[in-house]
Amino acid sequence: MDREQVLRAKDESLAHLRKVYGDEAETVIADARYGFISGLIKDVLKKPTIDRLTLSDRIDKVVLNRWLGIPIFLAVLYGVFQFTFVASVPLMGWIDKFFGWLAGFAEGISPAWLSSLIADGIIGGVGSVLVFVPVIFLLYIVLSILEDSGYLARAAFVMDRLMHKIGLHGRSFVPLMLGFGCNVPAIMATRTIENPKDRLVTILINPLMSCGARLPIYALFAAAFFTAYQGLVVFSMYAIGIALAFIMAWIFRKRLVKGESGHFVMELPPYRLPTIAGVIMHVWERGRIFLVRAGTIIFGIVVFIWLLDYVGALEPIGRAVAPIFTPAGFGQWQAAVTLIFGILAKEVVVGTFGTLFAVEEGALGETIATQLGWTPLIAYAFMAMCLIYIPCMATIAVVKRETNSWKWTGFAIGYSLTLGWLVATLIYQIGRAFV
Amino acid sequence: MAGNIAKKKITLALVGNPNSGKTTVFNNLTGARQHVGNWPGVTVEKKEGSLSYEGYDIKVVDLPGVYSLTAYSLDEVIARDFVIDGNPDVVVDIVDASNLERNLYLAVQLLEMGAPLIIALNMMDVAESRGYRIDVNALAREIGTPVVPMVATRNQGTRELLQTAVEVAKGNIKVAGLRLQYGREVEEEIAKLEKIISSNSLSKKYPPRWLAVKLLEEDEEIIKKFKEL
Repeated sequence: MDREQVLRAKDESLAHLRKVYGDEAETVIADARYGFISGLIKDVLKKPTIDRLTLSDRIDKVVLNRWLGIPIFLAVLYGVFQFTFVASVPLMGWIDKFFGWLAGFAEGISPAWLSSLIADGIIGGVGSVLVFVPVIFLLYIVLSILEDSGYLARAAFVMDRLMHKIGLHGRSFVPLMLGFGCNVPAIMATRTIENPKDRLVTILINPLMSCGARLPIYALFAAAFFTAYQGLVVFSMYAIGIALAFIMAWIFRKRLVKGESGHFVMELPPYRLPTIAGVIMHVWERGRIFLVRAGTIIFGIVVFIWLLDYVGALEPIGRAVAPIFTPAGFGQWQAAVTLIFGILAKEVVVGTFGTLFAVEEGALGETIATQLGWTPLIAYAFMAMCLIYIPCMATIAVVKRETNSWKWTGFAIGYSLTLGWLVATLIYQIGRAFV
Repeated sequence: MAGNIAKKKITLALVGNPNSGKTTVFNNLTGARQHVGNWPGVTVEKKEGSLSYEGYDIKVVDLPGVYSLTAYSLDEVIARDFVIDGNPDVVVDIVDASNLERNLYLAVQLLEMGAPLIIALNMMDVAESRGYRIDVNALAREIGTPVVPMVATRNQGTRELLQTAVEVAKGNIKVAGLRLQYGREVEEEIAKLEKIISSNSLSKKYPPRWLAVKLLEEDEEIIKKFKEL
């Protein structure tokens, strides 16, 4: 047989070369390539005799420092959220006023059901999501600047040691960071991970990285319940997400997908001054998705929810599910309804609250506080639930596609639901003991 | 290739290390606005765009950024499969001039495959700012393929790159290619394998010498191909 002959000849050659070189042929061949290249380099490249320490190197001395690296990264992240929230407040006020004006307009429409559909359903639902456009865009602007400058790649490098401790590689951190934008492209970015086990674990924990669609939820509750500490509270959500991702990765690597993790050299791109055009392009590319979703999926869902509410079907659904969440503090049927529909897309949680309470966006947070009797503790537990529970539909679809396994997709859904409930319940129960 | 010329269509594949400015070059060529990131792994799937140049319809395919063309990860397999199976008329390897040594590994592998290669020597400004002096002509001569210096972020060198690509596709510029010597013992084994392979149907699609080298590197994809015969 032809093919057997080839494969047998290959094995003989390999055995022979192993004997001659005491090494794999692969290594010998790669060495020949490197040898050729270093010879070539000597001929064509003249470097200055003293390779001065570039600015990049000098920045890296601080940023990549053994002890300072992680604190600097956390400080940068904290700064990002502080800035995002402080800067977006006036912008949100304007958009809120605009929708208030629009809703006032819609209230004059007859018949009454149409007026309710437009004012409560559409403006209440879609409007309450759109109010957070400034937060999302500002966050994307800052993240784009960090990304384009080359700092985010450093963050991955800094996390490398920590990642090794949990059985992953620093390279897995890049898709995780991309998850701050949206988990769908982030999960696709795991394709660069060579080791299939590393890749699977990185996919499974990716939804724990808080995406842009979850930001409106945090922003809504942070503003209503934690006025003075908005940036800190939202930062803590991201931090909980990262911490859980690490813990879960460690558990998965220990129990479910055992084996060696891959080794490779971390890439450190040079620092570059981000260009305005580049940043705008990034922000638009990511932010556009949010706007399109608000106009299509979110629009459709809130109209559907309004319809269910209008015919009185929403409350029974909510009441059937709500008791599950009683231990976590948010056992009201309204909260249950938002969580159910939030599976479709996380920002729907906010949109559903908007439709249910049909108040001006600026008053939505306070309305939830008074009508549902929520305390800051319950709000915090609810935010944690929204962070962790079930990846959204689009993410589930991409997990299925990239793992090519219903088993792992089902697992991703199951573990996050359980974990979300567990963490929310713990926050509420422990918090109650102290407050 | 003659058929392609008659239709005046050129397929141009863009390859390069992560972060060599590949996507920027893609955007310069096609006028697209693809995401350009400053870290590896931004391009995980191949993207396509097109442009017209001197009466040619040029299809540009942006491949994932890779350091080498082994079969270890999905992005490397995607890139390699396209260079082999996509039959591109021209393969442009975007090389970061400020990181020449590391970037050339991929170029060497492409030349070993017999790809119609052009090296786009990008980020010349960064290299110059560090005081590097690159002898572009000597590089082209020694590696056996055209080299076009450029600064993609300022859209410099795009035209020269297109012109060279058209010349390569037309056959006016010949890519000499590279016949690396791996050492006497390895060469002997390559010769043995080459002889056996040359009667194999796979050698119609791939250069026999390259197949032999890949077998010695125990390349999983290639071994699989032999097993599937």
